[in-house]
Parts: sequence; structure tokens; C-alpha cells
Amino acid sequence: METLQYAIRKLIYAIPLLFGVTFLSFILMVHFGPDLTYSILPKSATQEQIEEIRAELGYDLPFLQRYGKFMKEVVTLDFGSSTSSGEKVSSILKKAVPVSFLVALPAFILANLLGILLALYAANHRGRFPDKAVMVLAAIGMSISYLMVVIAFQLIFCTSYGLNWFPVQGWVEPPPDYPDATAGEIFYYYWYYYWSYVAVPTLASIFVALGYNTRFFRAVIVEELNRDYVRTARAYGVRNRKIMMKHVLKNAMIPISTRIIITLPFVVIAGNLVVEKFFGIPGVGLVTYDAITNGDLPIVKAVVTCTAVLYVLALILTDIVYKIIDPRISYSK
Amino acid sequence: MMSFPRPLPLLGLLTCLAAVIGLTGCKKPFSDRAQDVSVFRFSDNGAPVTMDPVQSATQYANLMTTSIYDQLYEYKYLARPYELKPRLAEALPEVSEDGLLYTFRIKKGVRYSDHECFPGGRGREVVAGDFVYSMKRMFDPKNLPQGEWLWQGKIVGMDEWKKTGADYAQSIEGLRALDDHTIQIKLNKPFPQLTYTFAMGYSSFVPREAVELYGKEFGINPVGSGPYVLKSFTTKKAILMRNPNYREEFFNLEYEGYDPKKQSGLGLEKLDGNRLPIMDTAEVYFMKEEMSRWNSLNKGTEIHYGVIPIELTHMVTENLKPLKLKPDYEKKFTAMNLPELGIVYLYFNMSNPIIGHHPDPEQNRRNLLLRKAIRAGYDWPQRNRRYYNGIATIFPGTIPKGLDGYDETLGNESVTPDYEQAKRHLKEGGWTPENLPELDYNSVAGVRMTQLYEQFRGWMGKIGYPREKIKFVQYATFGDYNKAVKQKNCTLIGMAWGLDYPDAENVLQLFYGPNGSPGSNSSNFDDPEYNELFKKSIVMQPGPERTEIYRQLNKMIVDQVPAICGLSRNTLTVWHKNVVFLPSRNPHGSLLKYAYVFEDSKD
Repeated sequence: METLQYAIRKLIYAIPLLFGVTFLSFILMVHFGPDLTYSILPKSATQEQIEEIRAELGYDLPFLQRYGKFMKEVVTLDFGSSTSSGEKVSSILKKAVPVSFLVALPAFILANLLGILLALYAANHRGRFPDKAVMVLAAIGMSISYLMVVIAFQLIFCTSYGLNWFPVQGWVEPPPDYPDATAGEIFYYYWYYYWSYVAVPTLASIFVALGYNTRFFRAVIVEELNRDYVRTARAYGVRNRKIMMKHVLKNAMIPISTRIIITLPFVVIAGNLVVEKFFGIPGVGLVTYDAITNGDLPIVKAVVTCTAVLYVLALILTDIVYKIIDPRISYSK
Repeated sequence: MMSFPRPLPLLGLLTCLAAVIGLTGCKKPFSDRAQDVSVFRFSDNGAPVTMDPVQSATQYANLMTTSIYDQLYEYKYLARPYELKPRLAEALPEVSEDGLLYTFRIKKGVRYSDHECFPGGRGREVVAGDFVYSMKRMFDPKNLPQGEWLWQGKIVGMDEWKKTGADYAQSIEGLRALDDHTIQIKLNKPFPQLTYTFAMGYSSFVPREAVELYGKEFGINPVGSGPYVLKSFTTKKAILMRNPNYREEFFNLEYEGYDPKKQSGLGLEKLDGNRLPIMDTAEVYFMKEEMSRWNSLNKGTEIHYGVIPIELTHMVTENLKPLKLKPDYEKKFTAMNLPELGIVYLYFNMSNPIIGHHPDPEQNRRNLLLRKAIRAGYDWPQRNRRYYNGIATIFPGTIPKGLDGYDETLGNESVTPDYEQAKRHLKEGGWTPENLPELDYNSVAGVRMTQLYEQFRGWMGKIGYPREKIKFVQYATFGDYNKAVKQKNCTLIGMAWGLDYPDAENVLQLFYGPNGSPGSNSSNFDDPEYNELFKKSIVMQPGPERTEIYRQLNKMIVDQVPAICGLSRNTLTVWHKNVVFLPSRNPHGSLLKYAYVFEDSKD
């Protein structure tokens, strides 16, 4: 009950925050963002046509009226239609968000899981060779640019210059229309192509994220290992694995879970532009990038707003998780 | 000694890797079924955002609209120079003697693809009224049309129709459907290029029912009568399926302009007699990332057609002129040096008195000498070597090779660097490093663009132009850049122009005074003599007299230097050996219906 009250309170407190974020993003998009008028202007135009386009796009409206329209869209979560394609923004996001989510999910889970395990391993061997080896590898992972990793992994796993195991680009299409296809065959089709397209992006994402995760998690665990209760437990002869898994890891989970949860909005909506661009995955990262370069404000507004909302929700979720991890935490005033 | 940890992380990683790699050994889904669908996988370096014909300004959008919709005409697949042939029209138009009245008859019995927008879901017959409706859409501001300029001021009553509120119920005097299969167009003044414009995606036949059903989303739900229907679309890939309602159309090698001397060895003979479209499915991959595109192509089992990235030219090719691939690639690919029907320029903003037109005749003369000096320092051959593999075509003036009006006798002085000559021009104009004006070189932001700017600045250094007086102004997007150009805020403007149709009028209009910004004349060149001569030429039918005028206009561009021109880019295209295809860009629309994969890869 206390947590629920806290969550509601946080949600109410988040309203001014959301207001601020949307206002700032509106200013940035409207006054400093690209002007679609001149992107879609015919090769030869007249001033009259420029005015017509501006009127059609609503650029000729006064600032307050435009902002009011935007706020209405935010409140109703109806961002209208893309100015480039005419497609409803909700329909675009409905298609793109699940794709980004499905691409990012395996990497998100594995990079965090492996990061924790590697961090435990390194922290447990603090200052010795295994620790140094893990840290060097983590530093390598952090030092190479994501773009380079993506290109290299694509070259290694997807091309005839390398192993040629996976497709270079693409995403799962609806299965062929065989009337006698069984549910098992359809399931196998989706499973097979999902992993075909997601494997290399996942490996590349893990390669990059693992370095950052491991270093961060290790630092947290090492700090925990220096605490008195660990020394006491060891003095009592508690087994090392039990100390690590039951006590150290559990206490380290608060900062770890903060880091994990805070990246959730990226998994859910923000997408991964580099991966999506290079592997031809029609996810929300690509949609957002195209919208920014095309000056498609309805899409940009929707993505910014949804990301802001998800961040607020992620922060609330973090507080709830704290309570689950450590019931002693109290949110009462 | 502590026993923890066990090799869990390693084990976890290995398990994941094994699971993923294990896929490579798995049987492909449905691999035991007969694969009787033929597929051609085309790729392009950009993506359309809409397939609404009124917005098919880009080559990517035009590719899609001309695949899905019908136009009155199209270009013969193999004929060079380009030659029109009827598509939905029965024949070339009947034109009145004064060149003002055009009558087009369209084929009978052509049907739209089946779609829920039609009663009973069955595609209805394409009628002349659809054309009238589609052209009206082009003049309706609500559709944000991009091709209106082609017909603006040319069709009787069209502009007035727009001004009075674009009411679709209102008829237009100059655009009428005489019956279901006859279209009549009345012009304000002769427009000999009219028929060419009806081969562009803009002039597609669109069914009103579909527009009304989808409203704003019509652009992503195209319904046409062309060879293909859209199965799925994202900005990364479009899948086109054979339109079951597509009329009987067979490939005739001779009619399409086959030239055995130039085109043998490409297997084009295999196309003869095939019903179009040849392949059941055409998949179009929109791949901006050159390396990904190449990797996909080189893999052998993915896309069939692509280009050699400029960075890999020397790895893949043995020779560029003529194009020859290295043996490993020669075994896999057919290659072709694909010329562009277009031109790359550097415009001077002539409305800027520091370098362009000036009311004072003396200053005007000095400005002309300054422009001539800058041009004499401009090293097209070096630009060609560094950025276009040395295979681009450099030519004087603005009319590219192969077009009526191209002047072989025009000397190459205007495209050959001559630093001493440049210095002489500066001296003659009284220009010194101290009084030379500060110039802004404008471009969309990017590494390549920065390199082009630095190269230009280097050349200017050679003619004695102080480096610090040439500033680089970058814009985040093309829209921002275009805005600055259209508002006449730029002095030096790097641009390219792809021809809409194979007639020099399309490039000469770029220097016609009344077309100044925001019109297509980005140089804002406004010379009364040029304007008069151009006005005279645009109503003339092709012939020696018009050719002569085109040449004079072209020479005026060379003499007055409103732009440093020109260069036509070439692209190194490759496609798999088991594919019969002859690529072409503008003015051709979609060529997907001709592609033939005679031994499809089994994937």
C-alpha cells in the first residue's frame, strides 16, 4: 500500500517534469528543428506554393496555437499522421516498437546477465589475473566504437568474406501462404528467421554493452565486498559462494537494478539506430532517424514524448524494485 | 582458497553462441515445399517515404509508382538515345497543327488490381476520367504535390481551377475525358515536352476509390494497374507481387531498341517473347549503407543487383575504362558503367551583387571576370579522379552528351583548369587578395562535402584567392540547405540535377530568369537575351532551328558563367550472372518488370 501511494505520488510529481520535457522538446523541434517545407518543395516552386505547403503542415499557425495542438496530442496520445507518408503515427509505432523490442531484448537480457556473472567473477578475484583479464576485455569492448563492431560482426558472420552464416540484412516477413502449413511449421518459420536476423545484432550489442556493464557491476560488487558484514561472514566460515550470491549480490542489486531499469525505455521504444540501419531492421530507431532527417515532426514528437513518459515510469519502477530488494526501505514521509 | 566462481560466464556465453550458431545447421522453413515463385531482388541507395504519385519526386518514389501504377507512356527498355513508347496509351498522341491540342487514346479493357476499394473487390477498368482526376490531384495543395511545376501555366484552366479552390466536381477546359478512352488536353502555348511528362510517375492513373478509402494513408496503400501490386512496405524493403490483372504484354527485343553491337553479351535475347512482368515477385531493398549493400550482393544469395562502393573499386575491378572486374568477381557478376542523365554544378548566386549581376556595368564586368577566374581554377578532372573514380563525363556547358543541343564543337576551356588564365582574369578585373570578396561555400553537412569544400579552397589558393575568404557553411539537412538556397542566402551552391526527360529544355530552364529562386533557377541568372531566346525555344518542335538555339543558350551559359559546369556521374553497377537486366536511371521509370532471374538462388 505504501509503495502504491508512493508510486501515485511520484506520478503526480512527474507531471511538471513531463510538461518541462515536452515544452523543451517542442521548442527544439519547432524552432530549431528541420523545416519540412523545403524538403518536400518541388524542384521548381513559387512563393505561393511555399505558403501553401506551410499552411498544409500547420507551420503558419501562431506559436501558442501550435503548442496547444501539440499538448492536446500529448494528452490524448494521438499524434496524427506522418507528414512524409501520411501514415498514422500510432500505426507506425505499433509496427516499429515490437520490432525494436524483439531485436533489443536478447541482447538486453544476456548483456546484463553475463555482465553480472563476469563482474562477480572479476570482483571475486580482485587484483589477480582473472580480474585483470576481464577488465582488459571490458576496456576493449568499451574502446571500440559501436559502429565498427557492427561492421566487423557483419563482415565476420554475414558475408562471404567471413563465415557467411547469417543474412546481411532483413527482418522476418509473414510466412508463405501455404494452405496446409501446420502451426508447428509456422512457429518454426518465425523462430528460425527471428534468430537468423537477430543473432548478429545481438552479438554485436552484447560485445559493446558487456564492457560497460561488467565494469560498473564489478565496481559495485567490490564496494560491497569491502563491507564489514562480508568480513564477519567469512570469519564465521560461511562459504564464499553463499556470501557472493546471497549477500553481496543481493545488496549490490540496488545500483545494478537502477542501471538495468533505466535502460529499459531504450529497449522498449528508443530503439537502436546503428543496428537497425546496418542490419535493415525496420525498428523505431530507424523510424526516428528517418523522421529527424525528413523533418517529420509528428513522429519525432511521439517518440520524444513516449520516451519521456517511459523514463518517468522506469524511475518509479526502480523505486518499487528497491523496496522488493530491500523491504527495509520506507517511502513514508 | 576460495572455490567460487565456476566458469559460469564462459559457459553461458558458449551456450548462447552454440544456440545461435546451431541455426546454421537447421533446415530452412518450408524447404521441403516446391518453391515455384520467381524473385528478383533489386536494391537502391535510398528509400521512398510515400508512393503517392503526386509526391514521387525522388528516384526511389518514382521506382515504386512506375512499378505499381500505369502512365500513358514509358521509355523503350533498350533504346539509346531514349525513345518513348505507349504504355497505357494506344499510340503516340494526335497533336493539332498549332501544337495546342493533344488527344490521347488509352487501351481498352485495362483493369486496376483487385482491391476492397472497388465494388465486389474486383478491380474496375481504367478510364480516361482517372487521368483527369489524377492530374487534378497534382494541382490540389492538400496533397503537397511535387510535380505541379511541370504543367503549371501550360494547361488551359488548370491554374484557375486551383485558384478557385480545387473543387473536383468542377471541370477544366484544357483537361477533359471525351469518353472513357479518350483524353484531350488543350495548352495555353505549345509544350513539345508534354508527352515526356506523361512518362513520369507523377502522371500515374490513380483510382479515386482508393484515394477516398485511405485518405492521408493512400501514399502507403497504392492501388494501380501497373505490373506489380504492393505486398508489404517498410523504409528498408518493399515486396511487389505480380498484378494478376495485368494486361497481356510481351517483350519484343527489336521493338525495345536492342542494339546487338552494344548490348550483346548481356543475355538480353533471353527476354524476347516473355510475358511481362517476367518475375512473380520483385523485392526492393532500400540500403543506404553502401558496405551492407555490397556485402549482401557479394554473398550471392541475397540481393541480385547493386553497385560497387567507391572504396572497393580497386579491390573489385581490374580496369575502369572499359570496365573489367577481377577474375573472382568476373565469375559472379555482370558489370556495367551506368551513365547518369544529369549534371553536377557549382552555381554562383547571381542575385548577390558581390559576385553576380550588378547594376553598375563596370562592376558587372569585374564580377564576370571574377567568376571566370574561379572557373579557371576549378579542376574538374581532379574532382573526377578523386571522387568519381575518374569515370564521370566532363563536358562544357549545361547540356549533357546525348541530348539534342549538345555541342561537340564547344571547346573544353571552361572545364580545364588554367591557373595562369585565372590570375589574368583577376588582374584584368582589378581583383587583388585584399579586395576579393568573402565567399560562402554552402553544402549539406558531411565528411564528403567537407572534402569537396577543402578541395575547392585548395584550387582557389592556387589562383591567389585568400583561403580565409572562402567560408564553409554547412546545413544539417537537405531541407535546411534548400531553404537557404531558395531564399537566396547562399553565394556558392553545389547542386546536382537529374533530368526529368531527355530534352535539353529541362536543363536550360535552370537559367531562365523568371524561374529564379524559389524556382528551379538557383543561380538566379537573369539575362534578357537568354530569357528571350529560351522563351522562343520552348514552344518549338524538335528540329535544326531549335537545336541551334539550344546551342546558343548553352554557349551563353559558358560565356556568362552563372555556374561552373558540368559533370555527369557514372555508377559502377553489378548484377549476378544468372540475372538478365539492363539498369538505367532517369528518365526511365521502373525496369523491374523486365528483370529475369533464370536460375534463381535456392534460398
